[in-house]
Amino acid sequence: MAEDLRTERKGRILAVRDLPTLPKVLEEVSKLVDRPDSTTEQVAKLISMDQVLSAKVLKMVNSPVYGFPGRISSIGHALVLLGFNVLRSIIVSTSVFEVMTENMVGLWEHSLGCAMTCGSLARMLNLKDAEEYSVAGLLHDLGKVVATVQLPDLKPEIERVVAERDVSYLEAERAVLGFGHDRINAWLADHWKLPPNIKEGLSYHHKPHLAQLYPEMACVVHIGDFMARVFEYGYSGDVGVNYLQPEALKILKIRPADFEKLLDELSDQFVELAELRFT
Amino acid sequence: MAAAPLCAFTRTQKILVLSPDPDLAALFAAAFSSAEAEVSVLARGKGAIEALFIDPPDMLVVDQKLADIPGLDLVAMVKSENVYRQLPVALVMEESQLGTDIDWCAAEVDELLTRPMTAPMLRARITLSLARATRSLDANPLTKLPGNTSIIGRIQDLIDRREDFALAYADLDYFKSFNDKYGFSRGDEVLMMTARIIVNTVRAVGGPKAFVGHVGGDDFVYIMAIDRVEEACRAVVSSFDGIVPHFYDADDRDRGFIQSVDREGNRRAFPLMAISIAVVFNRDGRLKHFGEASQTAMTLKKKAKENPKSCYVLDKRQG
Repeated sequence: MAEDLRTERKGRILAVRDLPTLPKVLEEVSKLVDRPDSTTEQVAKLISMDQVLSAKVLKMVNSPVYGFPGRISSIGHALVLLGFNVLRSIIVSTSVFEVMTENMVGLWEHSLGCAMTCGSLARMLNLKDAEEYSVAGLLHDLGKVVATVQLPDLKPEIERVVAERDVSYLEAERAVLGFGHDRINAWLADHWKLPPNIKEGLSYHHKPHLAQLYPEMACVVHIGDFMARVFEYGYSGDVGVNYLQPEALKILKIRPADFEKLLDELSDQFVELAELRFT
Repeated sequence: MAAAPLCAFTRTQKILVLSPDPDLAALFAAAFSSAEAEVSVLARGKGAIEALFIDPPDMLVVDQKLADIPGLDLVAMVKSENVYRQLPVALVMEESQLGTDIDWCAAEVDELLTRPMTAPMLRARITLSLARATRSLDANPLTKLPGNTSIIGRIQDLIDRREDFALAYADLDYFKSFNDKYGFSRGDEVLMMTARIIVNTVRAVGGPKAFVGHVGGDDFVYIMAIDRVEEACRAVVSSFDGIVPHFYDADDRDRGFIQSVDREGNRRAFPLMAISIAVVFNRDGRLKHFGEASQTAMTLKKKAKENPKSCYVLDKRQG
């Protein structure tokens, strides 16, 4: 791929201003925020189900304007630091997709399934700040959303390559765009000054064994992505289950017995999740 | 016309006008009552400078038409002295002369008044200028929260009006060792974070009448209703304890302490930062003076500091 075309596309991706979301969570959050008795915990719980709202909140709180870029990875902490005034303006300024495709709804479900798995796994492994693992899980495919919004003409082409050549969405992205959503995630994380552990989870979830700084984060998100596919919850852009890197299990010191326990726990949680609707 | 001072000023504002124009003096007389502003008009610029330096006014108005010295030169003389840099200065000139060759980037004036001028316009412009100068002078340069002058003014005002209120003093434990180890800019991050937590919590719990000020360094103050203050303290403590570990490097955070140097120069381990809050109450006009409030708070603060963890202490005698 010509270097200038890649630079041009990267520029278009980072120029993203108005990232739309699905209407359901947005409506519920606005209702909740307008109620005088609602708590930060309630609002945080709702926002943690929507990848775009979560990304906006983290982007805002980590912006240099507030004076502590790259420090906040938790939605709850972000809401305490931003306050309800700023949150209200984020909600008001967020638009919804004009056309809501089935694939987009599927991607929202896949991200939520991944987030839920990451949280459960992190708690099971007694990792510190388990919530941050579910945040990284929630945002792991944000690059796909941003690419769809910023490079809309290329989206059908990626889908065509996935269908015709029987390759993964990631491989199709690389063939059509010249880079995958993992790379887009890394650009966005740098541009928005997201904390380094979140960045590592977002940009290394397809190659967790190569993560240098926060290998646990990358491995947990990798397994989260895998599990959401195993349980066939949501749709991430391609059919089937991705290759589970055995190193991820080794790095996290997951024993077969742990894995069984995780599967049991997730079965119940995915059943609950299935009742949830984004439309 | 009003018999009270302007805005929230506790005293009459001194305005010095340097102008040979009797019409301008008459406009000032019409614009402000004597309780609002004490306006002195001097026709000559040179003679005024010494008086100005010894007894600076709250606002200086310079007429471009001064006969003995160009208005902008006089402004430059005043503003080149750092102690007078904060003094708001207005320049008066003919609107028709605005197009002439004036270097506005170099002109250190804060406000421009043009003839023809009316008394209401003069009043609006000068009042805005005075209020703006107080705001920017008193705001903490890091957090932009109101500083000492505003804090003391607010507390004394509530005491004078015999209003019930709770006054909370908050500061950080082990902030100095954090600063020593990680440097000032990392310390500033923590102060910005602390300010956000306090402001958002106090606003959410205490409503619009609540007040937050930044005394300086790691010292903060908030004022709110007596019946809600404990809820706010609890929320500040829990938010601070949840968030502050993220401002440490991962290895220090995992250890739960940092190695730094104490005041005597000895290397020792310091716990992660905590927030201590002391709360004083004013009920039934019991407090007479700001000093009483701050003294009681300092005594309570010592008690809060005995606990190395984040905590708040309420003034039991009245709480």
